[in-house]
Amino acid sequence: MTHIAFREEDLALEVDYVVVGSGAGGATAANALARGGATVALIEAGPWRDPADYPSSTYGAMRDVFDDWGVGISRGRALWPIVQASCVGGTTVINCAICVRTPEDVMVGWERDLGVGGKAFRDAIWKHQDKLEVELCAEVVPAAAAGRSNLLAAKGAAAVPYDGHPMTRYVKGCVGSGQCLQGCKQLKKQSLNLQFIPEVMALGGTVLSCAPAERILLEGRRAVGVTGRFREPVTRRKGGRFTVRARKGVVVAASVTRTAPLLAASGVKHPRMGFGFRAHPGTGVIGVYDEDVDMNVGATQGWASVQYRIDPGMKIETLSIPPEMIASRLAGAGKELVARMGEYRRMAMWVVAVRAEAVGRVKRGFFGEVSVEYGFAQPDIERLRKGLALLARTHFAAGARKVLPGIYGLPYELGPDQIGLIENGPLDPRAYILISSHLFGGTTMDKDPARGVCDEYGRVHGYERLVVADASVIPTTLGVNPQHTIMALARTFAEHLLDA
Amino acid sequence: MRVIVWLARSAMVTFYPRSEQFPGIEDMPLDEYIARFRRECAPIIWAGFVLGTLLFHITPLFTVFVPLPAFWLSAETRDRHAQRLAAHPIYYVRQPVFLLKMIAGLLWGADPKVRAALGLPPYPADPGTWRKS
Repeated sequence: MTHIAFREEDLALEVDYVVVGSGAGGATAANALARGGATVALIEAGPWRDPADYPSSTYGAMRDVFDDWGVGISRGRALWPIVQASCVGGTTVINCAICVRTPEDVMVGWERDLGVGGKAFRDAIWKHQDKLEVELCAEVVPAAAAGRSNLLAAKGAAAVPYDGHPMTRYVKGCVGSGQCLQGCKQLKKQSLNLQFIPEVMALGGTVLSCAPAERILLEGRRAVGVTGRFREPVTRRKGGRFTVRARKGVVVAASVTRTAPLLAASGVKHPRMGFGFRAHPGTGVIGVYDEDVDMNVGATQGWASVQYRIDPGMKIETLSIPPEMIASRLAGAGKELVARMGEYRRMAMWVVAVRAEAVGRVKRGFFGEVSVEYGFAQPDIERLRKGLALLARTHFAAGARKVLPGIYGLPYELGPDQIGLIENGPLDPRAYILISSHLFGGTTMDKDPARGVCDEYGRVHGYERLVVADASVIPTTLGVNPQHTIMALARTFAEHLLDA
Repeated sequence: MRVIVWLARSAMVTFYPRSEQFPGIEDMPLDEYIARFRRECAPIIWAGFVLGTLLFHITPLFTVFVPLPAFWLSAETRDRHAQRLAAHPIYYVRQPVFLLKMIAGLLWGADPKVRAALGLPPYPADPGTWRKS
């Protein structure tokens, strides 16, 4: 079992496969390759934090596990943060481990429009998802751990009415500690730093942490390895250079915001490199109730509705956030803001994630930083308004006294007869505080090498032994949480590599 | 740098003042927090924080119509200035101020005294550790 963290000395390794990125895609691909008998090196830019290292506060989470303090933003008319992790296990450490199967209509669309997949492909994805659900102990949120916010959402949706359900998550025996976003110290969430990555090491693999990849090594059009320099996580001081040669292939799963820039910086050329960026930007409506809700108790995200996934294109779900985040989310400042915080325990926050039509671009900026150009189209704002209005209706149906829409230009609080203000809210995206957490594209799959960077097995068109195995290959939005799809795709690609 | 820290402190105290229910951010180790934040955060976030701080202090003329920097205003006028700035119609004014408010909120909202006032247990310390071998 080998783990190599930051070091001053240079390092050279040779393995069968090198995998860049240890999130849902990278860890799953590395695991499948190792299970198939290959020697694997898994390279992660961030440090390895065990549950005992996990932060408790949001400050600690931003410092220790978020990618560069969560400073990544998409730039359009509005600036929206992009939330990802940078640590061994990637975003699986800080997400809510939501497990939703890849919808059939999505994959049928890929086949119809892009020539990607087909029935055998769909069956392979679902077969892997069957297995992943068993391996990662997918469970419906137990009632005892649901928490009042999730139960209220269920009650409100039933009264509106629309369909909803307790979430299925990769969480074994959730105790409702409400700390999904900081990493589960209770060891219940099956994040991949606890699951697939230790198995990679047990099978003889090597994990390099604090090791941001700078370049894919190419010989002609064949990928032969990866190089970069270790980086100390606190001081960001650079250490020794690592070079990992790959006898059989390089798998890139560095995240939607990093994979395309890494490939481009390595000299991998494709006219669609970085294009096709898509997301499910989301924001919430806070309901204020007469009694304590204590949204920080119970599953951080425990209830969802996908009834409107296709029309108009959005997902409704609960999300609890701690006081230090609510403090900046509430409008106002000074005495007024502090007085508003007095209602924290009676608040429940539910969110809408919009299945946006907008398409953007990921690229490397002037100073080498990641740059995401992305802006909402008007239909997306209209979806957002519908979703926010539905959330407000759901809160009132669940018994809320008032809602806090958090929309610039609208009153701080609204009553049940004022939901129309949200439905007719501003069309300017700058009026909304959105966060993008489900990201897709940048090196999308397409049968036609002129239209997509990768083929249906993640292989980069025109290159040998170079595979992308993260959400960068996903050519459309899904309308559901993407982790299950990313992992199934990564396992499919890895098994195809082994077969080849 | 000491001037920036002093200005930031003044702005943060305005955003999260003492109230009957809660302690103010001035009752917390604010200087230590700003120093730690500067040391630990990404440079671009620090730049945004400084921009938000400067905007807070140079804009009272446009919010409360007083041609003085915010630190010279009375507490009541400064509070009104903060409220209007947080809801400023210009997005690129609102955003750095939002960042300032968020960074102050990360300290204020996670403080054991604020959590106690909300009836919540204190957070355990953030270890800041990682696996080294």
